[in-house]
Amino acid sequence: MGGMTEFANPATYVVEAILVFLILWKILSARRGRELFIRRIPGLSVLDEAVGRATEMGRPMLYAPGMSGLDIVGLQSMAIMSHVIKRAAAYSTRVIVPLVSPVLYTVAEEVAKDAYSTAGVPEQFNPDDIRYLTDQQFAWASGVVGIQHREKIATAFYFGAYAAEALILAENGQMVGAIQVAGTPSIIQIPFFLAACDYVIIGDEYYAASAYLSREPTLLGSLVGQDYGKIVMIGLVLIGVVGVSAIALSAHSPWVQVHMPWVGAFGQFMKDHFLKYFPGHS
Amino acid sequence: MSWAHHIQELLFPSTVQGGWVWVYIGAGIIAGAAALIALMSTPPRYRKAIVVAVTFLGGLFFSLEFLLPHEPVTAFGHTLLGKGHVTGFAQGLTNAKPSVADWAMIIGSFTLLLGTFNLFHVHGKAVRKKTAGWYNSLAFFISFFLIMVAGFAKDAMGGAAKTISTQAFAILFNGFVQQLDATMFSLIAFYIVSAAYRAFRVRSAEAGLMMGTAGIIMLGLVPIGAILTNWLPHSGPLASLRLENITYWLLTWPNMAVQRAIGFGLAVGWLAMSLRIWLSLERGSFFDRQL
Repeated sequence: MGGMTEFANPATYVVEAILVFLILWKILSARRGRELFIRRIPGLSVLDEAVGRATEMGRPMLYAPGMSGLDIVGLQSMAIMSHVIKRAAAYSTRVIVPLVSPVLYTVAEEVAKDAYSTAGVPEQFNPDDIRYLTDQQFAWASGVVGIQHREKIATAFYFGAYAAEALILAENGQMVGAIQVAGTPSIIQIPFFLAACDYVIIGDEYYAASAYLSREPTLLGSLVGQDYGKIVMIGLVLIGVVGVSAIALSAHSPWVQVHMPWVGAFGQFMKDHFLKYFPGHS
Repeated sequence: MSWAHHIQELLFPSTVQGGWVWVYIGAGIIAGAAALIALMSTPPRYRKAIVVAVTFLGGLFFSLEFLLPHEPVTAFGHTLLGKGHVTGFAQGLTNAKPSVADWAMIIGSFTLLLGTFNLFHVHGKAVRKKTAGWYNSLAFFISFFLIMVAGFAKDAMGGAAKTISTQAFAILFNGFVQQLDATMFSLIAFYIVSAAYRAFRVRSAEAGLMMGTAGIIMLGLVPIGAILTNWLPHSGPLASLRLENITYWLLTWPNMAVQRAIGFGLAVGWLAMSLRIWLSLERGSFFDRQL
């Protein structure tokens, strides 16, 4: 108990405080009406194209949140789903949402109902399109593949936590000729989606999606705050690199030991006062 | 023993035996239903405030549990945090964590019933209306009840009935569910081949780079790769040109660097999203109407 990885240490306090400050500061400034710029994300810009294609073909769309439960990944997926449904509702295109988590299923049903109401077409909400399939990974994948083939989906969205089932769904989507857009924070699955999908959003673009689609000031501010946070993280990485390099140089280079002894002293200082707060440092 | 401890033992006993188990289960269901009804009948204005407050308190509990020092924190030779009762309070939060986490499980159990209801509704309609593929829905009902009956019977019954139901459950679970799971998993091998075929078509400089890298890694991970560069020495500067060493370098350095960069971005995004949900700033994304 009390180990560095289980509870916060001084480095956690400082880094988290800076990140939280930056995010909240940018949220507040965005809410006060400050214009914020965010770059174009191709995977999200094609949303209208993907919805339009399904509408032209008269076929439904699939929105699969993967293995997500009621956590941050799942809630972000629901936020994106809400936007997809609102766009689809404008063209009376069906969106089928198969779920693996019963908890997320109840949330998804409410979010979908709300999205149709907001789009002004509450009567389009069909409770049968929000489906809880099973809580088993491959049974769920098998169920989704069945939906892809039976419903002949025109568009597939894969936004959420994914594991080995990612490629099964994406390849079957290819087989039925669907235009496919994917985004996942599961780093290992990103290459599979890249190989099989038409558009993929990578890494933290996943958490930028709701801000990008809604342009809501709070979310935009948060997104810009995240970018500042990443600059802080890059700075920390650079400081760490300098510290570790100083330790390595003083340990392995006799020339540095003789002519630049301050490098060793600096390395020791970094080790005692900076690197020790980051678990896993060597 | 204080009266507070007696009340705690009565409401949240550490162990319950005999018929009291059913009493506590019944009381739990009634209390849960009463809380749900009370929440639903609360005017939306106040309901929103309750949801915001519960979300904030839930987030606050886990934040404090992680952030408060469990041991005195020292830096530059001074104790910065963790004096007095702070560490004791933090340890108390950690001790209460499993009980608080149980609430999530309890809510999950309620929603499992809703999920099952949805399954029955969707498949029941398919069977009733004999829509295309209705027999698949019938298969769902048959397998659902078969495994449920076998599962309950193997625990609740005795004698020959127990033996039969245990064997039936083993056939259904080990023989069907697990094997079908393994079948779906093994299909990935074929999908990887078809995905790789598409990914490796060289249409741009980036695709060419990816194909070249993938070719080196594939060769480096199979014996033929080692044979191809076996003429190079095992040590010295030229050893780093051996295919297995290039593969190791690619996986350990460029690949790991990119993965960590993505990981950092995700972590900051995760923090921002958590903050928005904790402070109820994200609500507009989900529910545009009044809660």
